[in-house]
Amino acid sequence: MENTLSRPVRGVVFCALLLTAISIIYPIAFIFLTASRPEMDYMKNPFGWPGEFTFDNFVTVWNGYGVGKAFLNSLVTVSIATVVMLSLAVLAAYGIAKYDVPFSRLITGTFVSVMLLPAQVLVIPLYLLLSKVNLVGELPGLGAVFVATSMPFSVFFLITTFRSVPTEVMEAAKLDGAGFLRTLVSVVLPMGTSGVATVGLLGFLAMWNELLFSFILIPDDSKRMLTAALASIGSRYEIDQTLVASGLLISASVPIILLFFASRYIMKGLTAGYSR
Amino acid sequence: MVYPACYAFYLSFTRTKGLSTRWIWFENYTRLAADPVVHQVFLNNVKFLVSVPMVIAVALVTAVLLFEKIRGWRFFRVVFFIPNVLSAAVIGLLFRTVFGYNGLVNGLLGTFGAEPVEFLTKGKWAMGIIILALVWSGFGYQTLLLLSGLTAIPTAIYEAAILDGATWWQRLWRITLPNIRQTLGFVFIINVIYTFTALFGFVFVITAGGPGYDTTTIDYLVYLRAFSGSQMGSGAALAVVLFVIVGILTLIQARVFGLNGKDAV
Repeated sequence: MENTLSRPVRGVVFCALLLTAISIIYPIAFIFLTASRPEMDYMKNPFGWPGEFTFDNFVTVWNGYGVGKAFLNSLVTVSIATVVMLSLAVLAAYGIAKYDVPFSRLITGTFVSVMLLPAQVLVIPLYLLLSKVNLVGELPGLGAVFVATSMPFSVFFLITTFRSVPTEVMEAAKLDGAGFLRTLVSVVLPMGTSGVATVGLLGFLAMWNELLFSFILIPDDSKRMLTAALASIGSRYEIDQTLVASGLLISASVPIILLFFASRYIMKGLTAGYSR
Repeated sequence: MVYPACYAFYLSFTRTKGLSTRWIWFENYTRLAADPVVHQVFLNNVKFLVSVPMVIAVALVTAVLLFEKIRGWRFFRVVFFIPNVLSAAVIGLLFRTVFGYNGLVNGLLGTFGAEPVEFLTKGKWAMGIIILALVWSGFGYQTLLLLSGLTAIPTAIYEAAILDGATWWQRLWRITLPNIRQTLGFVFIINVIYTFTALFGFVFVITAGGPGYDTTTIDYLVYLRAFSGSQMGSGAALAVVLFVIVGILTLIQARVFGLNGKDAV
């Protein structure tokens, strides 16, 4: 491989990349260390290795600052919304990809164009609409908004996935007496598992991290989602650094764990958005 | 989704007081056009565009280097991607902690004997910090996009170039970069769109638009007007303006790069 970069150059490049990686890992590690030491210990020497480790900060923010409740709110709402979104998106995409649905072009076109609507445009009318049906401040209302906003990309992505399932296989299933749903569940879904997993993961992450809707549509502190709770902790109180750090870690843990276990699916989905 | 969008459009021509809604034609828009705060905020958005070339530069360098299959490139790719899966709330709070008066950076400056800097309460610094947060959190995804552009270049071209004795730099300038022109253009446009629509989280958490309106962006002003100041109509009008900007950018993208809805069907 003499035609690529020479060895010393590769060494330099490696170091540069390593430095960049450190700029990402170091703050996270710092937060991790900060979160797991007592406030007094942090004040003595914030940058040193902790004198003692403790789990108290996590317990304090979890119980005392509503982070625990917010975590559960987020987990339940986002999980349910993801499942609902997936089932609707799978049905819609399967129908459009494999059957002659009237106006399917129009429907797909609408999906693609609403993907471009910025959330800021939607948040005002959605707020007013939800307040008409008394769903402002209610988690199901937010969940419904999440489902609606994550549908377009999911349907769009799944259409491509299901297109690649050969029609012959479906016809074979039909000959064997399988109906619409049967074909979908036993033939098409197993063949499109990775696509469905990608869409589910991306949807979950996007909802988990969403801030605008979850902040504005849930004005009530006791029903806050995790990101919104975190944002208001950070901006409202000047609390101990160790507590802020624990809150950060609790909220970041879910996405980071997902990334390390499923980076392949997540990255695939995100680059697919580009090929459109 | 279409209905709320139309509803927002309708709202932008009204003024809401309590429960009554009054049709006021273009008054919201003419007021916005005459509002010095709006001017300042638009200018802020333009300033935030500085982040676009920065993100692309960093992403391009990392993508080209990762493409060389440097040792551990898979590991780097995942690590660079971490900030992308974190919420703007988390990243914003992280930056607030790191750049706070008693934060990590001032601590490091202190060990060199420098005075602590009030990063977040001085307008210029605060904007710099938000831009940094944007670059830090965004370049991993852009790297990924560029990488997928790079892998699409046929290897035969490279082999031919190597036979002709082209050096690595020549190949970079003559082959690699021209071939990912499209990807670069796409990345450019989506980043411009991001600076108009995706700053809310960072601004909200890091500076809350302050000091004054120094770091307020259009999307944050929509929130301020509609929900803090309860001027729904004014907020909606601003949101429509924002939508028009994004729409124009998207059309340019579709025109220039031949990407549009029809390709999808």
